[in-house]
Amino acid sequence: MLTRERMRADIAALIHEDPEEIGGEDNLIDLGLDSMRAMTLLVRWNETGLGLDFSEFAERLTLDAWWAIVRRHLAGR
Amino acid sequence: MNAPLAVPPHDPRMPQPLTEAQAGLWYAQRLDAANPIFNTGQYLDLRGPLDLVAFADAVNGMVAEADALALRIDDAGGAPVQWLDEARRPWLAVIDLTNEPDAEQAALADMARDMAAPLDPARHALAAERLYVLGPRRHLWYQRAHHLVVDAFGTDLLVRRVANLYAAALGQGMPGPSLTRPSVVLAEDAAYRADPRREKDAAFWRETMQGAPEVVGLAPGLAMTGHRALRHAEPLDDAFADALRAAAATHNLPWPDILAALVAAYVRRHAGTPEVSLGVAFMGRLGSPAARVPCTLMNVLPLRLAPDEAAPLGAVLADAAKALLRGRRHGRYRGEQLRRDLGLLGAGRRLHGPLVNLLPFDRLPEFAGLEASQHVLGTGPVDDITLSFRGGPDAAGLRLEIEANPGLYDAADVAAHAARLRHFIHAALGAPRLADVPTATPDEARWALQDLNATTHHVPDTTLAALIAARMQAHPEAPALEFAGTVLSYAALDARSGALAAALRARGVGPGSIVAVALERSVELVVALLAVIRAGGAYLPLDLEHPEARIARILDNAKPVLALSARPLPGQVPVLAPQDWPLAGEAPTQGPAPGDAAYVLYTSGSTGEPKGVVVEHRAIVNRLEWMRQYYRFGTADRILQKTPATFDVSVWEFFLPFLAGATLVVAPPGVHKDPVALAALLRDGCITTAHFVPSMLAAFLAEPASAGLRLARVFCSGEELTAELRDRFHARIEAGLHNLYGPTEAAVDVSYWPASATDRSQPVPIGHPVWNTQLYVLDEAMRPVPPGVTGHLFLGGVQLAREYLGRPDLTERAFIPNPFRPGERMYRTGDVARLRPDGAVVFLGRSDHQVKIRGQRIELGEVEAALASYKALRQARVIAREDKAGDRRLVAYVVPAEGFDAAALRAHAAARLPDAMLPAAFVTLAALPVNSSGKLDRAALPAPDYVTVEGRAPATEAERRIAALYGQVLHIEGVGAKDDFFALGGHSLLAVELMLRVREDFGWDPGLGALFEHPTVERLAALLEEKPVSDSGLGPVVRLQQGDEALPPLFVVHPAGGISWCYGGLARALAPRRTVYGIQAPALAAGVETPPSLDALAADYVERIRAVRPRGVVHLLGWSVGGIIAHAMAVRLAQRVGVLAMLDSYPSEVWRSQEEPEENAPFRALLAIAGYDPDNLPDGLELTREAVVAYLRAGDSPLGRLPEAALDGVVRVVRGNNRLVRQHEQGYFPGRIIHFHAAAQHAGSAISPDLWRPYAGDVEVIDIAAQHAELTGPEATVQIAPPLAARLAACDKKDTA
Repeated sequence: MLTRERMRADIAALIHEDPEEIGGEDNLIDLGLDSMRAMTLLVRWNETGLGLDFSEFAERLTLDAWWAIVRRHLAGR
Repeated sequence: MNAPLAVPPHDPRMPQPLTEAQAGLWYAQRLDAANPIFNTGQYLDLRGPLDLVAFADAVNGMVAEADALALRIDDAGGAPVQWLDEARRPWLAVIDLTNEPDAEQAALADMARDMAAPLDPARHALAAERLYVLGPRRHLWYQRAHHLVVDAFGTDLLVRRVANLYAAALGQGMPGPSLTRPSVVLAEDAAYRADPRREKDAAFWRETMQGAPEVVGLAPGLAMTGHRALRHAEPLDDAFADALRAAAATHNLPWPDILAALVAAYVRRHAGTPEVSLGVAFMGRLGSPAARVPCTLMNVLPLRLAPDEAAPLGAVLADAAKALLRGRRHGRYRGEQLRRDLGLLGAGRRLHGPLVNLLPFDRLPEFAGLEASQHVLGTGPVDDITLSFRGGPDAAGLRLEIEANPGLYDAADVAAHAARLRHFIHAALGAPRLADVPTATPDEARWALQDLNATTHHVPDTTLAALIAARMQAHPEAPALEFAGTVLSYAALDARSGALAAALRARGVGPGSIVAVALERSVELVVALLAVIRAGGAYLPLDLEHPEARIARILDNAKPVLALSARPLPGQVPVLAPQDWPLAGEAPTQGPAPGDAAYVLYTSGSTGEPKGVVVEHRAIVNRLEWMRQYYRFGTADRILQKTPATFDVSVWEFFLPFLAGATLVVAPPGVHKDPVALAALLRDGCITTAHFVPSMLAAFLAEPASAGLRLARVFCSGEELTAELRDRFHARIEAGLHNLYGPTEAAVDVSYWPASATDRSQPVPIGHPVWNTQLYVLDEAMRPVPPGVTGHLFLGGVQLAREYLGRPDLTERAFIPNPFRPGERMYRTGDVARLRPDGAVVFLGRSDHQVKIRGQRIELGEVEAALASYKALRQARVIAREDKAGDRRLVAYVVPAEGFDAAALRAHAAARLPDAMLPAAFVTLAALPVNSSGKLDRAALPAPDYVTVEGRAPATEAERRIAALYGQVLHIEGVGAKDDFFALGGHSLLAVELMLRVREDFGWDPGLGALFEHPTVERLAALLEEKPVSDSGLGPVVRLQQGDEALPPLFVVHPAGGISWCYGGLARALAPRRTVYGIQAPALAAGVETPPSLDALAADYVERIRAVRPRGVVHLLGWSVGGIIAHAMAVRLAQRVGVLAMLDSYPSEVWRSQEEPEENAPFRALLAIAGYDPDNLPDGLELTREAVVAYLRAGDSPLGRLPEAALDGVVRVVRGNNRLVRQHEQGYFPGRIIHFHAAAQHAGSAISPDLWRPYAGDVEVIDIAAQHAELTGPEATVQIAPPLAARLAACDKKDTA
């Protein structure tokens, strides 16, 4: 089960930051995330069976925005 | 509500401006409205049970959301605007093809037709959605949209949305959020235009691109999109993906960055430049609501990389990743805008080379219960080549896709790049450094090394001496040698060379010894060369025109046992002069062996010492036997020998005839520099085969006498044969043209190319290897390079020279072990070359400081060494400059020391260097300019001022004219009377040009020899003034103006006096386009009869025109009587006539009605030719011969210097012409006469141009405000030349008929 905390940890690992450094509304692009890395995260999270779509994720790159999408998918299952 | 940004309220049905991304595409489509390349399209092949209703609903659901697909764009009101037009929404069309015999083919053909139809954004729906039903379990879903409304990312959004909606319709999930409307993109676009970030982005890119070199791609040519693109797609195998994943893990980089870095390295290998600029496609949507808007946002920005081949691979990859990261941060800035910022506007001015497109997004979405595959049909314009990699973020399902501009690449090129790029990247992924990775695939390497060099051919292992002896005995009576009227049979040549060989043997000459031969071209020279070889020795040719110091150095190095020379030579070498040669004697029975040296030729050496190249019999026998058999030389051939014996081309000229039983025709000394004499020799000597250095061929073709020559073969070598020269050759001369290449170090030539009239190669290749010979184009690591990649040219095979005489160090450096053929050697040419896809080798230039001046190979180091031996000099550098296209000259830059004297330096150099190696100019500098790395900054060296300081200004009129001609030919100003043509940088080819101009200006040509004897302005002017006019200026055809060879020339026919110099002003007014020839009366020469009729005269002139211009359109013009003759010529030339123009000429009945002319008519005619109005002469001028000649002389007319015989000729011709005209009956010319009417003369007269109407299809009259007699004067010429030039140009094109 994907959680907000696991998402935060995954993001942090990929951009070589501590999870605490990533705020919910921080722009992940400013923190060094690019489309390739965003895609990598998405693939990893989709392994749990969610049908996450890159274009939705790409609209807004913040932890909170992403969590909102994931929560909606989790709810729809 | 998921929309994260508030959308500015606006009605999408109201016109909006285009985004920055759209504007560029819109203008491009507007400029090329018929171009369908802007259509993007793809289809999904859906296999399995499809719920047609659910699928149609899904597509239509997507269409309902994707407003961009319903856009309309129009500029009717000025600037282009776009708005939503509901009528254009592309609802799905379902096309049932189940009854078609080949349903898939029918569907594909329908898609192809749709893709090929250009779209007008104002008039046509820009998108289409179709479902082709092929059968119950097979459907093709086709989507097409103009690139203005959607890009690749947008198309992907559409597909995902449909997959989503289809799954939802089947109850297999949620429909998910709808697509976002394009209005957010417009809002963002507007916001960015006003954002200070945009200025920062602009500054970043300007800085990034500062000092970027000119963009080089994978193929030469203009990178401008065509109407279609070539497409290639292939899956990359697991091994490739594994290697990529491993590298990504090792270097901790995403795979797209790694591929970008390696694509850059690949392109750089092909471009041959230190750095490359790729185009990188940025998605332009990350972190923006546009991420869910199907529209066009894709942006291409440059990625400048200079991958260091020697650095660890990780460092190269990391550099590229960093550059990409920086670029992404500024990836919003439009590439089109950056082009404008950098002033890179217009075709051919590029921001980047090949485009790399990295698509690390998920593969196709799942279509419930279906197997789907994607087939891309078009992605928009392709300027050059696009290299795309698609695959999952984990590099699963990786595919390589290539799109290429068919104007630059063909399908085979694309396939070759696909295979090579795949191989290169795969190899690089596992290599420690890029330098360890070959560019060629193993298949390409095998092809280049082996297939192209499969030249094994049996050639007997023998010697020149044995082959020639056999021929001499085979047909002793046949002519072997001709020279200036002397003919030697094979028997006679056998006897004389055998006798001398015996004498040489008696003096100790045998295998291993060298005999110097220093003789002018003559029978003796040929006898000497044969005798040395028959005695078993190697000949060493010496040019006595070379400085004595150089000859002394060569003799010192070669240590010949004997010299065959008419003059003593420096040093101790004993000389056997021709008068002491025996006429009887038996050639030694024991000749040389195949491994003995046949000749030693000295070439320029970079260290300052000439190098003696030793070539063995086996090597030269291979070269000559190849040539004899390949080109089918036989006993009927007559081969011209004109190349100096010190130049290796002479080797085949001398010996090939004797291997073929043909005749060797030896040109008299000096003829090889004189095009007129050469043309005569080729024609009168019935030569079948001749050789030209290309620059000499160019000068030869410029000479009128070369037109219409016919030979079996002409060989070119020694420098680059240009495509332009090849074509010019075939337009003038009927002969096979063959381009040969080879250094002295490999027995004359090692490659050949038929540069035939049908050859369209550009550049002309040096071609393929001769028998038993290998050509290798290798990179720095001695690996073969694939076609299109520049490399170093190496040679292998039986023709390689043995050594540089007495220089084992140089020999070892140049002749290295052949890595591809163990036990054999390989020669490093120092030339740079590349292979064409067909395997032909193209020569590209030198990799070092060797240059070619007039076909002669020159090491700049040798010239510099000669200068450096002059004491009062601190530094000297020599470069070859080409300040005028096609005219390369050596220029020395010297930093003087105390006691420096420019004249002394020049003399010092002249004493040590042959002519061709002597710098044309010496420039003194306080210091040599150097660049930041301390190397000579060649760009900072000033162009030389060729003018010497001393001397006086030209004084007489002739001096002024000659000085002006020197200036024109040499492109300098302020030529003085004492200035020497050759000292000012003139050389023999420019001398030819000068003498052509002298002939035009002075009306006669004293010959090239005269210039060599009288090279200063003062002396040449004196010569031209003193000497009586020779026949040449009064010859039947004189060239008055040299223009563009490709255009039909204008022939101007003499008026009554028989001389056509009067047209000089008109000819100059038609410069520089038009070549103008004057036709003059042959009867000007004493003893030539006036022909019986004007028709016979015209027939004679037509023949003379044919000799100059055998084919194609010619233009005719004549003044007065000349017009009548021109008309009679036009009747004969018929279809070939472009323009027939007359300067106030009238049909013969007008003449018959006039009174017989007075006795003094010839003198009136003479004055008229000189441009005076004979009806308006100064008071007191008597119309007598003496008075008129004196008057002309005073006015400095060249006519005043006509010799007595010519004046008699004029008198005779005027009388003869009067008779001919009065008897003449005009024929009918079906074309048009352009009549320049002397309106001032004939106002109100019955004499009218209309009198020509019965004799021509049409008459166009152009009134000129002048008297009849003034029509060739300056005032009339300015009125005549422009309309004449326009009419000539309009009729040039008839040439195709």
